[in-house]
Amino acid sequence: MRKLVRSITATVLIGLVWAGSAFGQDEPVTFTFAHPGPIRTMDAPVTWFGSTHWLTNTLYDCLIWRAADGDGYVGQSAESWSAIDDTTWRFVLREGLTFHNGEPLDAEAVKWNIDRTRTREDFLVQPQWQFVEDVIVVDERTLDITTAVPEAYFEFAVSYNGCQILPPDYLEEVGEEEFARNPVGSGPYRLVDFDASARYVFEAWDDYWGGRPEVDRIVYQVIPEQASQIAALLAGQIDFVRGVPPVEQARLESAEGIELITGPASIQHILYVRYQTETGVLAENYPDFEPITEDVRVRQAISHALDRELLAEVQGSGRPSLLRTDDFNPEHVGQYAGEEAAIAHYDPELAKALLVEAGYDPDGGDRPVLHLDAPDFQQGNEKEIAEVMAIMLEEAGFDVELNILALSAFQEQIFNPGNFRGIALTSVGGNPAITPQFYDCDWRNPNALPCVLDETGRWDALSREILATVDFDQRMELWEEFWDLYVEKAGEITLFHLDSTYAINSDFEWDPRPDGWMTFRDLKVRR
Amino acid sequence: MQTYILKRLGHLVFTIFIVSLIVFFLVRLKGDPISVLVPPTFTQEQIDAVRVAWGLDRPLIEQYFVFARKALTGDFGRSITSGTPAMELVLQRLGATLYLAGLSALIGLLIAIPAGVIAAVRRNTPWDFLTTAFATLGTAMPNFWLGLILILIFSVNLRVLPAYGAEHPLAILMPAFTLGTGLAAQIARLTRSSMLEVLGQDYVRTARSKGLGERIVVWRHAFRNSLIPVITAFGLQLGWLLGGSVVVEAVFAWPGLGRLIIEAINVRDITVVQAGVLWFAITFVLINLIVDLTYAVIDPRIDLRRSA
Repeated sequence: MRKLVRSITATVLIGLVWAGSAFGQDEPVTFTFAHPGPIRTMDAPVTWFGSTHWLTNTLYDCLIWRAADGDGYVGQSAESWSAIDDTTWRFVLREGLTFHNGEPLDAEAVKWNIDRTRTREDFLVQPQWQFVEDVIVVDERTLDITTAVPEAYFEFAVSYNGCQILPPDYLEEVGEEEFARNPVGSGPYRLVDFDASARYVFEAWDDYWGGRPEVDRIVYQVIPEQASQIAALLAGQIDFVRGVPPVEQARLESAEGIELITGPASIQHILYVRYQTETGVLAENYPDFEPITEDVRVRQAISHALDRELLAEVQGSGRPSLLRTDDFNPEHVGQYAGEEAAIAHYDPELAKALLVEAGYDPDGGDRPVLHLDAPDFQQGNEKEIAEVMAIMLEEAGFDVELNILALSAFQEQIFNPGNFRGIALTSVGGNPAITPQFYDCDWRNPNALPCVLDETGRWDALSREILATVDFDQRMELWEEFWDLYVEKAGEITLFHLDSTYAINSDFEWDPRPDGWMTFRDLKVRR
Repeated sequence: MQTYILKRLGHLVFTIFIVSLIVFFLVRLKGDPISVLVPPTFTQEQIDAVRVAWGLDRPLIEQYFVFARKALTGDFGRSITSGTPAMELVLQRLGATLYLAGLSALIGLLIAIPAGVIAAVRRNTPWDFLTTAFATLGTAMPNFWLGLILILIFSVNLRVLPAYGAEHPLAILMPAFTLGTGLAAQIARLTRSSMLEVLGQDYVRTARSKGLGERIVVWRHAFRNSLIPVITAFGLQLGWLLGGSVVVEAVFAWPGLGRLIIEAINVRDITVVQAGVLWFAITFVLINLIVDLTYAVIDPRIDLRRSA
């Protein structure tokens, strides 16, 4: 009996060691990214979720796409492009382009894709392609895209989610359901294996117009739990973890073969400020409540009372900022742009003086009551950020009523219904600044409507003017005015931009993108 | 027997109907799915267009009947976020969850039954104390914590098992052991107490006085009769296994149904949540039916014809 037990134990151990060595083999060169999941679909226009488009970006080419260094756009399928007039853009495709299955990628194929995306109402990106009025095929390699009105951010819009070019003949032949199972693209990698929402394996395509990528295989492996992602990285079973929390950074930094990189996360922490009672459920829940923040001097006092540098430090990986725009966009302009301006904006004495001007007497005991709502955890340390903010605001003369809730409760009770009485801390992703209509009065979010702050209507007019001004220099001038209004009216208050820390297997070389996208087209192998 | 099974299947249909009602309305109580489905830059007009395209502008009752009518034909609609048929997504994942739950149950039983029996037979010996300690620890230990500890030992330090996924043939071991440990702890404790009760019965004393060997007395006479409460608990625990798999699937990135449902809940992909939860319910009810049927096999005194 003992012999039997011993031999079973020995067999199991040998099996484990053999099996363990099997997954340690790394031929061909494979790079595995821990994707937090879920991954939706490879039928690109169906969804707008950025984390799914990290993958579609590997499989498909668009006409043009955002440059890796954040400086403008680069051609993918398009060799060149230019605005013929304010409403017409001409694209010339690269010569001899094909999809992975050999189907030609020509102007007709591009037209078919754009028409599909902008007309299919069940596609979540469809509304964002309504800027296209028509697509006209000029010849096999040339097409014109027309818009109804001048579009200042045409290049951004045409390289937005849903820009991926799918093979029309193949898709029509096999149907959408089969295509979702066996997608074919024209990007640098072919999808060779996948388990929906679990693991996607891409293999370098020899015939890519830009040459075969350096890394043979890119694997997006869904691992939802961050602790598990880090353990898998330490075990050498994956090569990349995104958003490493500060508490884990020292451990990973000291681990052999792992490198930490910091880059923009494309997320900003902001304060929504209540300055009217018409939106959200405020009037229902608190009848006759008059927010102290209706007074612009009080809002400015809040903005000046906050030491953004310290708040960014409390968060752990933030950069102070006064402007709500991400690191990809060039619209960081004007007197309030940059970290220094944000640091210099901190002036508690001025904050107190503004409160006095508004009719309060903080030193004499007449302190305005300011309600501050915050989630306990959203991107990291929100509870601590809110507590430090409360101290800063108290020092400037406010009497702060701090209300910290679990994230889901905060979103359901405070944020989504617009149920805050003073200020609410939240974080936002993406790039609202590139789409100034984000601030329009008719925007759906009941919490942030800075346009009504400007009685002259200048804010609203500026938003529309920016979107219609194709000339870059003119547009930047308008942006300067826009940001002046944004900071001075303090209808919402930007605190800091978030950075993200990435842990990567040091055998690979990768630069973080300013748009925060986890795409590995340009990944290099360290020799 | 057939009548009994048919009657139970009738109960199953009723249960699924109730579950479908609860799920349908609960997922909508959590909030407007459109609010997380569309990008923050959408205008109200664009949001309304998406709502109409997905039929979410219709009255709730109408939405339910459309859903129920289609569900009866196996059509649970398309995932709002991926466009893939929800049923297809669920079936892709159901197998992985059943495999995980099945192996966990097996591991749990392989640990629990011998441990419980030995602890009862050798009462107040180190074996008994060890089993009781294991049962207490196994019940108290959160399975996500145990999972992470196993990953640290076997993946990070020893590097003999994969930390995630389902591609490697041995990838199932750690999640199954993690999930099986909790089950083993509960079943071991129950087996021990059930065995202790049976071992004190007159017929066991009679068997011993007839001169039967201890092994035969324990395994043939006592053990079989101690199984009824164990099987009942096991049937209920299988439901716990399906629920517990949600956490374990997340820790080990196991591509199962639990994880699919959690992901769908987070983005309010209501079609997938509805399909996933209904399939969980169907699986659970079917497992319980099978457990009930095994009573008759274990204990001849139980007559299912009379139950029918």
